[in-house]
Amino acid sequence: MEELLFGIGISAIAGALATVSGAAEDTESDIGSQGDPNSQVQLAPQMGYIHRIFSKAISGEPPAYGLWITLGAGLAWALMAINYNPVLAIILGSAIAVFVQGVYATTAYLGRTASLAKFEQPVYIDVIKSVTTVTMAHAFVAIFTCVTMCFLMVNALGHPFPLPLMGLVWGIALGAAGSATGNPFYGKERQYQSQKFGAGVPISASGNIVRYAEAGQRSSLDNGWFTSKLGGPASGVCFGLIVFLELWRTIFFEEFAGGWGAVIAGIILILIFMIVDRYIEVWARKTYGPYTEEKTEEAA
Amino acid sequence: MSALGGGSGGGEGMTPVGIVVGIILLIAALAAMYVISPGFAFTSLVLVIVGGLLIGFGVHFVPVGGAPAAMGQSPGIATGVTMLAAGAGLAGLFGGAWAAELGFGVALAGGAIGGGLMMAVTCLMVNVVYVWGMGVPAASGKVAKDPITGDTFEAYKSQGTEGHGLPFISYVGGVIGGCLGGLGGTLIYVELLGVYEEFLPISMGASAEAVLPIAVGIAGIIAVGMFLVNAVIAAYNITGTIEGPHDPKFKRFPRAIMGCAVASAICGLLAIIMAVM
Repeated sequence: MEELLFGIGISAIAGALATVSGAAEDTESDIGSQGDPNSQVQLAPQMGYIHRIFSKAISGEPPAYGLWITLGAGLAWALMAINYNPVLAIILGSAIAVFVQGVYATTAYLGRTASLAKFEQPVYIDVIKSVTTVTMAHAFVAIFTCVTMCFLMVNALGHPFPLPLMGLVWGIALGAAGSATGNPFYGKERQYQSQKFGAGVPISASGNIVRYAEAGQRSSLDNGWFTSKLGGPASGVCFGLIVFLELWRTIFFEEFAGGWGAVIAGIILILIFMIVDRYIEVWARKTYGPYTEEKTEEAA
Repeated sequence: MSALGGGSGGGEGMTPVGIVVGIILLIAALAAMYVISPGFAFTSLVLVIVGGLLIGFGVHFVPVGGAPAAMGQSPGIATGVTMLAAGAGLAGLFGGAWAAELGFGVALAGGAIGGGLMMAVTCLMVNVVYVWGMGVPAASGKVAKDPITGDTFEAYKSQGTEGHGLPFISYVGGVIGGCLGGLGGTLIYVELLGVYEEFLPISMGASAEAVLPIAVGIAGIIAVGMFLVNAVIAAYNITGTIEGPHDPKFKRFPRAIMGCAVASAICGLLAIIMAVM
């Protein structure tokens, strides 16, 4: 019983760490403009819209976060192997990984922006100075919490994977969950605030991103402020639920039916999520209503 | 051609030369394994190839809209095919590796459900953001009606877009894709772990207990690597975006199956030879 309670407690802590990690990951990627919406930031100068938005997507979020979390976890693992205290080892590992992220951010911004020189997009030195440190700070939160979560899975819950491999697995999953959930909010609601709420962005408006804030030109720091209201927390809840439910169903139900209990619990959870999703879909259809009237309904 | 990049027709066939070269490479890899170590190692290679095929096939189910989805210009999840499928499959691999000691069946089922659960949560949160963050209902650009629920889409599409959100058929496709990815990844991991546990103590001259952490680590790393190899091949086959099993591009999967079989055979052969020889 005590062992079970311990397992549930660790699952809860891991889920909470994952939630913070997901929220910080999405906010970092929105400030650094790393997810899929980045294509619009890259496209804007070509359409004649010069901007001060940071742009550092030279690969997707999942491989980038896979790298950083693996670096953090690998360094922490190496430091623990030479008898460093685990807390200190995780902090040092995450800090060094963040410096790699900082180098990546700087070179990616300079390289991507320099490639737009023929469209007269300048490289803003003050943007590098102000934004890079802020993305690094958010990345540290994301990396530290994710590495700590992986450490708990290996050392407290006894998962067979070594810490760096665990970091790779959950780093890629973190990037995938964050880029899937948070990206639309940043891509549409932040970049296209001149477009009407409650509709998709017409293809003809591609590249016409909003470039001015309440006072002066908008920089990527405004993106962090805006998307931390919904995109970040939604990504956090997404990654937190994935981690917590994955651990919870295994720890709580694996004893039943020779391991099949955890599988059955997983199937039930998937069905519950499907029902909730269908409810949301129907709610949206009823509330927002059809954009065009019966004509197309009959045709369909 | 779609305005958002990538052909929307799908179903382009395979070239005869490609098929012949693929089959020759596949048979050569299997024959080499049979000559080197028939029996357990050979069976493992066959199952590793099956795992690769499951991953490649599963990726085609995952609804991915890329950058256009992030602007509400096309339906799907706003990220890349490889990345999302890899995230789901690796979450499955985590569960499968954990359950590996409980038996072959439980490990595979655990891996599949782990991947499916990751996709179920992600798809739900994606729809939450679409509906309450962006205020758009789900509408497919590829079909007029949802094959499962029968919902019509034409009237719910914003002007100038190819649809948006995540229709229910795409949600179900995502969960199936996650399950297949997790199943395939776990199958590769379990088979490689079995081979390493069997052969590494002999080749390294160490006890089974001393070799176990190395076996787990190498099997896990190679399973992750092979997952990415197969997911990338499938993503190249899809090119750009796909809405799920109802998308015309889904019909292209036989090409990916062929490519994944060859790639998995060669990667698997090298991974197994490393321990056997």
